[in-house]
Amino acid sequence: MITSLTDKLNGKVVREKTIELLGIGKKFPLRNKLIKPEIGEDFWALKDISLDIYKGELIGIIGRNGAGKTTLLNIITGIISPTEGKVVTRGRVLGLFNLGVGFQDELSGRENIFLNGAILGASKEELERKLRSIIDFSELGDFIDMPLGTYSQGMRLRLGFAIIANLNFDILVMDEVLAVGDALFQSKCFERLMDFRRQGKTLVITTQSMELIERLCERVVLLDHGNIIFEGNPLEAISQYRRILNTEAFFVGPTKKKLIEQTKKWADDISSWGNKLGTKEVVIDSVEFINKLGYKTKCINTGEPLKVRVNFTVRNDVKEPHFGVAIFRSDGVYCYGPNTQFDGYHIPKLPQGKGFFVLNFPRVLLACGEYRVSIAIWDKNETLAFDYHNGYYQLEVKGSLNHNNELLNIPYYIKNRNYLFFQKKVKNLPTKMMLEKIKDNLVNDRVGFKSLELVNRVGEKKEVFFTNEYVKCIIEFNNFNKEDNLYLWLGIYRDDGIYCQGINMPSLERNSYTIVFPRLPLLPGRYEISLGIWDSLKKEFIMFLKSIYPFRMVFEHDDHGTVYLEHSWNFKIR
Amino acid sequence: MKGIGNNWHLIYQLVVKELKVRYMRSSLGFLWVFISPFLIVMVFYLVFFRILRINIEGYPFFLYLMTGIFPWNFFQCSLISSTTSLWDNRNLIKEAKLPQYVVPLSVIVNNLIIFLPSLFITIILSSILLNGLSLSILFLPFILFIHFLIALGLSLILSLLYLKYRDTKYILEVLLSFIFYLTPVFYPLSLVKDAFPLWLFRIYYLNPFVGVLNLYRYTLLKGFYISITRADKLFSLVIIPLIFTISILFLGIYYYRKNKDKINDYLAY
Repeated sequence: MITSLTDKLNGKVVREKTIELLGIGKKFPLRNKLIKPEIGEDFWALKDISLDIYKGELIGIIGRNGAGKTTLLNIITGIISPTEGKVVTRGRVLGLFNLGVGFQDELSGRENIFLNGAILGASKEELERKLRSIIDFSELGDFIDMPLGTYSQGMRLRLGFAIIANLNFDILVMDEVLAVGDALFQSKCFERLMDFRRQGKTLVITTQSMELIERLCERVVLLDHGNIIFEGNPLEAISQYRRILNTEAFFVGPTKKKLIEQTKKWADDISSWGNKLGTKEVVIDSVEFINKLGYKTKCINTGEPLKVRVNFTVRNDVKEPHFGVAIFRSDGVYCYGPNTQFDGYHIPKLPQGKGFFVLNFPRVLLACGEYRVSIAIWDKNETLAFDYHNGYYQLEVKGSLNHNNELLNIPYYIKNRNYLFFQKKVKNLPTKMMLEKIKDNLVNDRVGFKSLELVNRVGEKKEVFFTNEYVKCIIEFNNFNKEDNLYLWLGIYRDDGIYCQGINMPSLERNSYTIVFPRLPLLPGRYEISLGIWDSLKKEFIMFLKSIYPFRMVFEHDDHGTVYLEHSWNFKIR
Repeated sequence: MKGIGNNWHLIYQLVVKELKVRYMRSSLGFLWVFISPFLIVMVFYLVFFRILRINIEGYPFFLYLMTGIFPWNFFQCSLISSTTSLWDNRNLIKEAKLPQYVVPLSVIVNNLIIFLPSLFITIILSSILLNGLSLSILFLPFILFIHFLIALGLSLILSLLYLKYRDTKYILEVLLSFIFYLTPVFYPLSLVKDAFPLWLFRIYYLNPFVGVLNLYRYTLLKGFYISITRADKLFSLVIIPLIFTISILFLGIYYYRKNKDKINDYLAY
């Protein structure tokens, strides 16, 4: 105790050792050694491992398959004993090599709680006391009395983790069981793991996910061929590990950054909308949508400004966070998802306390409709969110009626138009139903469609454009006369069939039409243009050409979604 | 085997699981505990009484068979299922830290529980057919305990041996059927005594199961004491199984302690 006293005097934090490994070695005899001892050599799975693990620490163990990770965890748990060396553990050790050890399909969930709990070393009293919270945590409800055989894999995992999450232990050892279940369940698990750490429990994990290691661990041990190669800083350990993998041609390093050709175009899973995920080291307190007048609202007009203000509380200091806001249409189409990392902000740290960030869109180029907004405070690699409100907020965009289920409202103008098109109210434009019904191309010889081209500012015909580039669309006909009831319709589609925007213009006294997009804000991906001539009296197309002009968009920045919305960030951390 | 008290809950859970899993899905359920031993007794009755015409003086052959076959069945099933138990439950043992002996122990407890109902029926039948029970029925718990300990000691050894040598199971099956015929399950002891010279009979008598089975009969069958003393003294009937029990139990515990740290090594490959 003298040393600890002087340490205290020197201002060092004295930490309690919970696991001490002293020169651990583990030898496995080769097969048949018992009968024919002369065959082969013994295999040392671990050699001379010395390691101290402290209370409240989350330590990661990485290494290739067969490096000895599981053997080491087995020894810490006490499932196998070392051939040489000494293990000292203080407190109750819970080893988790599989969720739901000994689960029986024939028994009900409730019976399995007692069985699995007993196998993990819990007493009857403890299990009876915790039964309620285990069932609640598993969210199984009435299913708890159904036989386990009727459960889905996800339900089994939920039950398995619910038991662990509610048992008493001081040291938890987990072998690759982290990467299970859906996002919601995972988030709940990690939230609980963070709770354990806050409670001062010791956690030892192995995983092949370097993102998780980097995100969670304070200290990492790299094992190879049964030896500790490195111990310490996670980033250093990971880069050493990558080096090992590289030298033995397991791992192909990251490729050079080039132009982005595709972005995320859909929400991952709209059924999980409305959930709050995350480890809750940072908690989102409130989210406000603010309109052009500075009032809180849930509804804005298309093309108008929008501010998203998010207030949060930091419960524990976190490193390198970034903020993200994502807008989806209510059917899951990804509209836009900017975050501070894509935009080049670097936030080294969020200190404990309160803060906020504001995302400012000067023009919301979304067509009118119902939208969902996700708000997230992510860690560096987006491995595990600190807090993530997935599709939690509803936003309505209003404007001229959106009959056709368009997604966007990109500004454009029709060059040299003879009269003010927008002053005339157009009736009976092609409806969504009409557009979906029409499958085949409809050629009209009388009109005589000649060509459709997309050209850039200098007039070159192109099939690839940069996001936000000036784009001109030139349509030519042989013999298209002005008729009051005829409209030219141009539809921009994503290659997965999502209708981005439709442009209608009345027929004019000429054969050439030009539509100009001063900035075409479509994000990387493949798009198509369809063209039609609409008879608003008969309510049908007299000409329809589907996907006549496929084109691609590229961008030098990472982004998510379909349309780039100009924006700026503003944040205050403490 | 310290701390067995802490493991009662685990043993209880394992036994309950095994019983539920075994009987829950069959339509007759737990009734099989009664039905299957009776079917076995029926077969033996047909073969040995009706066809081979072995006769037991003073007792209904049916009852004599029951008092032999039920305990033997308990013993045989216990050994066969416990021998492979460590291996069969390797997932459990490899993934959770539990004292491994609870696995064979729970198998034996499980078999004991299945054995008890048929024993109960034997007692009722015996008291009806023989007009009551003798006072020696009070020794029944004692002999059950002895029998249980023999099975436990052997199962500790056998289940560990099985991890090292997979041949154990086949050797055990042969040995069990061999001992079955060397034990008076379906024939009276006096028949052996008449057929063998005395020295050979003494060797035969060293088989502890001769004593165990006859002790069951001594407690279950009224007046059996008199017929048994015609063959040998009650003392040697008790002392041989007792010595065997103690030695096999200590051997089992010793062997388990010596090997328990290596169990996971054997399971690892």
